[in-house]
Amino acid sequence: MAEIELKNIAHSYNPQAADMNYALDPFNMTWVDGGRYAILGPSGCGKTTMLNIMSGIVQPSEGKLLFDGVDVTTLSTSERNIAQVFQFPVIYGTMTVKQNLAFPLVCRNYEKSVIDAKVQEVAEALSLQGLLKKSASRLTADQKQLISLGRGLVRDDVAAVLMDEPLTVIDPDLKFRLRRQLKEINQKYRSTLIYVTHDQNEAMTFAENIIVMDAGKIVQVGSPAELFDRPKTTFVGYFIGAPAMNFFDCQASGGYMLSIGSAEIMTGTDLSKVGSAPLKLGIRSEYIRIVEAKGANTFTAHVQRVEDMGNYKLVTAVFEGHVTKVKVERDIAVPVDRVELQLPAENCCVYAADILVS
Amino acid sequence: MGYFYTTLKYLAVTLWSVFVIAPFLWAISTSFKDFQSVTNGATYIPWVDFEPTLEGWRALWKSPAQGGVAIVEPFFNSVFVTAAGSAISILLGTLAAYALSRFTFKAGPIRNGDITFFFISQRIMPPVVLAIPFFIMLGKFSLLDTLVGLILVYIVLLMPIAVWIMVDFFNKVPREIDETALIDGCNPYQAFYKVVLPNSIPGIVVAGMFCMIFGWTDFFFSFILTFTEVQLLPVAIVALNSSITPWWSLSAAALVSVAPLVVVAFIVERFLSKGNLSGALK
Ligand SMILES: Nc1ncnc2c1ncn2[C@@H]1O[C@H](COP(=O)(O)OP(=O)(O)O)[C@@H](O)[C@H]1O
Ligand SMILES: [Mg+2]
Repeated sequence: MAEIELKNIAHSYNPQAADMNYALDPFNMTWVDGGRYAILGPSGCGKTTMLNIMSGIVQPSEGKLLFDGVDVTTLSTSERNIAQVFQFPVIYGTMTVKQNLAFPLVCRNYEKSVIDAKVQEVAEALSLQGLLKKSASRLTADQKQLISLGRGLVRDDVAAVLMDEPLTVIDPDLKFRLRRQLKEINQKYRSTLIYVTHDQNEAMTFAENIIVMDAGKIVQVGSPAELFDRPKTTFVGYFIGAPAMNFFDCQASGGYMLSIGSAEIMTGTDLSKVGSAPLKLGIRSEYIRIVEAKGANTFTAHVQRVEDMGNYKLVTAVFEGHVTKVKVERDIAVPVDRVELQLPAENCCVYAADILVS
Repeated sequence: MGYFYTTLKYLAVTLWSVFVIAPFLWAISTSFKDFQSVTNGATYIPWVDFEPTLEGWRALWKSPAQGGVAIVEPFFNSVFVTAAGSAISILLGTLAAYALSRFTFKAGPIRNGDITFFFISQRIMPPVVLAIPFFIMLGKFSLLDTLVGLILVYIVLLMPIAVWIMVDFFNKVPREIDETALIDGCNPYQAFYKVVLPNSIPGIVVAGMFCMIFGWTDFFFSFILTFTEVQLLPVAIVALNSSITPWWSLSAAALVSVAPLVVVAFIVERFLSKGNLSGALK
């Protein structure tokens, strides 16, 4: 258990090459002891690289790694006392399930009674009791991944538990249960848990803090609500939320006002200093309202289609070429042809060159 | 159509079986014949065509002075040289292959793949190219005509096979298994022998089988590098082919020399058919 600090860490897989490019751009990050984090980002953005740097499988080409202020950059993986679970099951095929679960403890010379108790506890949490005596190579992919998870959880004194998309191979039912179980285990032992995923729902329901990454950069760190309400870049707005945030090209028209085509919109952002950068207005489809009559912050759009999504309706409307998605409650009647849409000022995010203006 | 196809298939298999088994049957029957039944035209069925005798087999134990062919000592020489050569080749080859599979080596333009190919290239050269250098080198170290000398040469011949098979095998073992072992608290050596090695038994068995086959059947080098003190089985058997060839003892000796390979083949076949080679890890 430790506070983990990454200082100016950067990594390139081919540092000697003439056209060296970073898999991970230089960045700083602190993982608070006992925190529950999710790293969210598209495939290839550097999530696995970041975890591997923390566990020591990859030596960063630049920067330092501190555990509770102590430099561990050059320490070997086993000396760092980290648990890590990979995307695909890794099992020791020649051992039984019990030996698999006990291996991290045996390697670190725990007492036999402690080992037995911990293995029992983890096996119970993951419903593996019935399989303990079985050979690990004779299990299903699901069960193998449970064992990988179990080996990650069997030590409760680790600096952090790193999980790299661990539930990819698990079927949805079990996934849901496991996610809750992981949360409980984390709350019980208060070990830092860092969970990589490319599934935003998983990240949102699981983590206290989400790190959004794109192309080797950390784009935003924040709570699920922050990411939803105030995405720092248009990328985060697109990536988080379903449907993606609505974006409108617009011009500043003085003070807090901007114009989208012929519509004048009042925002909660002072736009006097944005200069000449291209502006975009971002707003969640959840926050756009359908109103009866024209008024402040409204525009008239043509309804293109209305989709019934079960618990809500998704309206697609077009205003002067801008496609707008609006989420409305199921029992609200949507006009067939023209609709007045209102953008509440407090929900409008303004982006200059794709970066949130604050 | 299906019936016709099945018949054809069985016919082909039968033909092939006859083709494979016939020489064995011929050797077995010959080993029980005497001078009369070999030289007076072809005979086939014991007790009907000829009177079986154990003379051919007894001669294997007797010294030449007693009219025998003394195949026992060469047999155990061969066992020793093949076993030792294979064991050392597997040991060194497995370690080399693991390093070649997991670490990156650079020396000028040379990379891992080139080093692996260098090992294999030893087997691409015709053996005769190596014969003279081996002869001179062993001569320099007074190792001609010794078991140790032969073992050294066999290591040169067999290790490439072990490296080749094991590199391929380790490349198919996911790196994550090593990494997981490191995370679980092993140092790199422990990760190798506690986790990777136990999972590599199938590869080692296959590599071992090939080493033993190539070692056991080598005639060329044991013929060139030994004279009087040490004799290996293939050389001893060929030596029987003198002016008056004792076909009965020659057949018996040939059967003896094939027996260990048949045993090895059966064991490996059983091992492989249990599905041990694939799916050992995933
Ligand atoms: N061992 C490696 N050698 C070279 N490039 C790599 C290696 N591992 C990953 N990369 C590259 O680094 C980038 C980040 O990869 P990774 O961290 O695996 O992303 P993610 O886990 O987010 O999908 C990718 O462009 C990938 O191609
Ligand atoms: Mg990854």
